Amino acid sequence: MNDPTLIGPCADYEHDLVDLHDGTLAPDRAGVVRRHLEACPRCWDWQAEFAILESRLTADLPRPELSPTFDAKLQDRLATLARPPVRSNLRAALEHEHDSLLDTLRRGARRRAVLGALGSAAATLCALAAARGLLAQGVGLLPSVAEGPERWLMLGIAGVVMAVAALGWSAGRNGVPTLGLLR
Amino acid sequence: MAMDSGIEQHLAAGRHARAFDLVVPAYKDRVFRLAYSILKERAAAEDAAQETFVRIWKALPGFDGRAALGTWIYAITRNTCLMELRRRRPTVSFDDPDSTEAQHAAASIASGPAADPERDNLLRLVDTLPRNQQEAVRLFYLEDRSYETVAEQLGMPLGTVKNLLHRARKRLMELARPDEVKAA
Repeated sequence: MNDPTLIGPCADYEHDLVDLHDGTLAPDRAGVVRRHLEACPRCWDWQAEFAILESRLTADLPRPELSPTFDAKLQDRLATLARPPVRSNLRAALEHEHDSLLDTLRRGARRRAVLGALGSAAATLCALAAARGLLAQGVGLLPSVAEGPERWLMLGIAGVVMAVAALGWSAGRNGVPTLGLLR
Repeated sequence: MAMDSGIEQHLAAGRHARAFDLVVPAYKDRVFRLAYSILKERAAAEDAAQETFVRIWKALPGFDGRAALGTWIYAITRNTCLMELRRRRPTVSFDDPDSTEAQHAAASIASGPAADPERDNLLRLVDTLPRNQQEAVRLFYLEDRSYETVAEQLGMPLGTVKNLLHRARKRLMELARPDEVKAA
């Protein structure tokens, strides 16, 4: 068991020697290990070598400390995270452009709707006027305030022309449904 | 940890900012030491500790208490450090102490000249250990030789930590022996 050419402790005592050094070995087992140590040069040498290594590791391994500014730096980082993100100039410009484009489209759609409605109203009025002229000429129901049938006929024709023109213009601006005929 | 109960009371009441204010002073030194044992550089360890607490600050409202607070915090710390290690350029690995590179490095370190030969040799020999043994050794001596603290911080069973440290110290003793003793 105590062959001097071997290096290292007896296998049965290796872990116990470490625990004995750490002070974590049960008292009864510690007594057994101490008695073995007195009789075993290999284990004695190994535990002496182990104790030297322990003291060197304890003394020589670096023991760095946190810098005093650690807390302040951390608070700065957390404050940055808590603030709403600042938009970059490019992103702000793009969003402004997007917003103004949407606004223009909305205004254009409103204007087209208004013009379409006006055109439709004018066309309707003209159509009614033309119909009234045709009826007055053909049936003779108009009162005597009229100065002559030709006048009503001219007004009617003008009304129809205007109505057709207004409808055509509105359809060209997508102001009235065209059922896909203009596509 | 007694401090943890106060923190957990704040968490249970939804006072996350107040809980965080207690977490930082209670854990910052241990988080830093754990980060240092993994990253081996003071500045990198401090950066990792900062990043760890930012992550804790974000995740604290979701902490459900299934794991102990310390276990949760140390897991975040280890993940942060491992991400930092992955981000770095790969270098020669000494994870296998029997590899040619490790033996060559150990031999040259043990015999090479140095300004403070004994101390420098010892530190460099520690660097030749497998990574998990290095971490355990650094942390063990930083944490005043507490196996329990090291086990908690590394997220390992106590027996595993004892085994790692035993193998590490045995290896260091072998590497530090004079050549004539090694030959015998």
